[in-house]
Amino acid sequence: MLRMEIALFLVIAFVAYIYFSAEKERSELHRTFSVLLVVVLFHLVFDGVTVYTVNHLETVPRFLNDTFHRLFIGTMILIFFLFYRYIAILVEGETGKAGRLNQAAGIYLVIAELGDLLLPIHYAVTEQGNYSDGIHMIFCYISVAFYFILGAGLFLKNRKEIHRKEKMAIGIAMLVELVVTTLQGINHTWLISGMGITLITLAFYLILENPDILRAELTEQKMSMLYLKSQVNPHFLYNTLDTIRIQAQLNDDKKVAELLMRLVDFFRLSVKVDRSLVSLDDEIELLEAYMELMCYRYPELQCAYDIDPDLGGVPVPNFILQPIVENSLLHGLKNKGYRGKVTISVQKKDSHCMEICVCDTGSGFAQDKKAAIDEMLRSYAKQAPKLTGNSIGILNVQKRIKLLCGREYGLWYTENENGGVTAHILLPVEEKSK
Amino acid sequence: MKKLRVLLVDDEIMIREGFKRLFDWEAHDCEVVGEAADGMEALAQIDTLKPDLAIMDINIPIMNGLKVIQLSRIKHPDMAFVIVSGYDDFSYCREALRLKITDYILKPVNYEEFGTCIDNLKIALFQHQSSQKEVQQEERTIHGITRYLQEHLAEEVSLSVLSDEFHLSAQYISQLFKSEIGVNFLAYLTNIRMEKAKQLLMSTSLSVAEISAQSGYSDYRVFTKVFKKSEGVTPSQYRRDFLEDVKNR
Repeated sequence: MLRMEIALFLVIAFVAYIYFSAEKERSELHRTFSVLLVVVLFHLVFDGVTVYTVNHLETVPRFLNDTFHRLFIGTMILIFFLFYRYIAILVEGETGKAGRLNQAAGIYLVIAELGDLLLPIHYAVTEQGNYSDGIHMIFCYISVAFYFILGAGLFLKNRKEIHRKEKMAIGIAMLVELVVTTLQGINHTWLISGMGITLITLAFYLILENPDILRAELTEQKMSMLYLKSQVNPHFLYNTLDTIRIQAQLNDDKKVAELLMRLVDFFRLSVKVDRSLVSLDDEIELLEAYMELMCYRYPELQCAYDIDPDLGGVPVPNFILQPIVENSLLHGLKNKGYRGKVTISVQKKDSHCMEICVCDTGSGFAQDKKAAIDEMLRSYAKQAPKLTGNSIGILNVQKRIKLLCGREYGLWYTENENGGVTAHILLPVEEKSK
Repeated sequence: MKKLRVLLVDDEIMIREGFKRLFDWEAHDCEVVGEAADGMEALAQIDTLKPDLAIMDINIPIMNGLKVIQLSRIKHPDMAFVIVSGYDDFSYCREALRLKITDYILKPVNYEEFGTCIDNLKIALFQHQSSQKEVQQEERTIHGITRYLQEHLAEEVSLSVLSDEFHLSAQYISQLFKSEIGVNFLAYLTNIRMEKAKQLLMSTSLSVAEISAQSGYSDYRVFTKVFKKSEGVTPSQYRRDFLEDVKNR
């Protein structure tokens, strides 16, 4: 039997390793599961040790036997308490109602642990193997049953409000708990409690605590946060800014009025996020608003445009130019105290494609940085969606161009002969038939 | 040219104040004769004051601006409306265009651009009147000049060129524009050049650079800028919108 405990321990240890190395949200649910994993690991060690000691009653001193037995049962009760807590937190999260039985569960835990420490242990010796019975064992069964009933009650009462996934996890846990405890109750020598606990833990892990699911949830959550941030009612924004602008102009502050005007332009254009493609003119207009504000903040910053006017109507992916220019400013010109020039040119390459160049006179790439960026842009598809960091913007631009226009188009960087870098964007020209 | 009488309709006092005090009405031969803060008030003011022009917000209390225009049209068919709205929404634009409004400008309002809008309105009124009224002596001169401009707008035309052509002093011609049409010479020239450009954009497939040259701009960059300022969109965007509109119809 010892071999099974070792196998179970290795399985849970592996799960714990994956779980603790994964990025996740710090919620009570995940904290409880973390504690559960650790306790289960300890429990399986005590389980294995007890399996050995209980079958060697003659050679192992009675005191050691009792200690391990109490630790084994103590951690088991704690695990069933944690199972209950986990289910309770899940149900609370789904229904939004705080559990009323949490206090009872806590108080009972203290009583159960005290009972485990103080009640006398009796060992039954049989042909098939030894096990413990008597008041201590009965007390243990009562504790398991107590938490089982609490959990089951909670589950049944709120079953309509719980999602399918959570329902499945709790259902499996309950079923395993019931079957294993019953079997153990009938065949005392089977000693399968460790297996039951492992199965329940695995059920929770596979269904609810899987790192991939957690990461996806985390990403989704951050995305929706970003989305919400941009959801300030735009009409409120323009109207209020406009009122402030008029007040500024009434106060004879032309400059403030002008800046506010550009800010409104920038917002108005950048909230068109619902469209994936916009005209090049829209992109340029957004960029102009952005650059005018930046040039005001940094007077030694200059900006020039050289745009083929016939390309103005070409549809391009939304919001690709501003992140590239922002990148040039933050990584190239910032290091030069925002002293320098950004030139944006758009020219036709042949009848099917055009090239947008964003050329800056900034500090250029730091050593090795160019290779890293080249590599990132080349293997864009393999990059995990990043939500922070410097390269999020350009990676995002690259991904959207490839997705919306095709694999043959995209973004790359070159170094200028006399300092600074140039971003090149190759895009298709599908001017609608005239 | 009599002064244009203007009614301001917006539910926000600051917007009306801005219009009243920040736009040089005097210089544009206009006069603000009243204000209204909601749709009902606007209707009442239009009936009592009979303004030539109403500056209308769409999103106003009680009755929206489009409804006000629709109802006013019945009693006052010649009245002009300029919609000023924060709604960057094409469905509104569509409906507004169906009501044959003079212009549609988006908030925030740039008062200089608003001046162009007023100038355009006056030029349109002038052209409308001159096609109906019998022409008097003095008006004949201005009509000769405008006809000449229409025929020569691809060339370099200036007050001095006109002065040589019509044997009148440049100053006199300048005053003539002001008194007959109510706008200065340059505003008039830009207006007809833009009209020409729009017509070419819609009816031909010439490149923007060619249209720029035919409309009297040797540098297409200058042309694009002026066009953007007067129409709110770039020439290529204008053409695209037009083609899309035709397709959807």
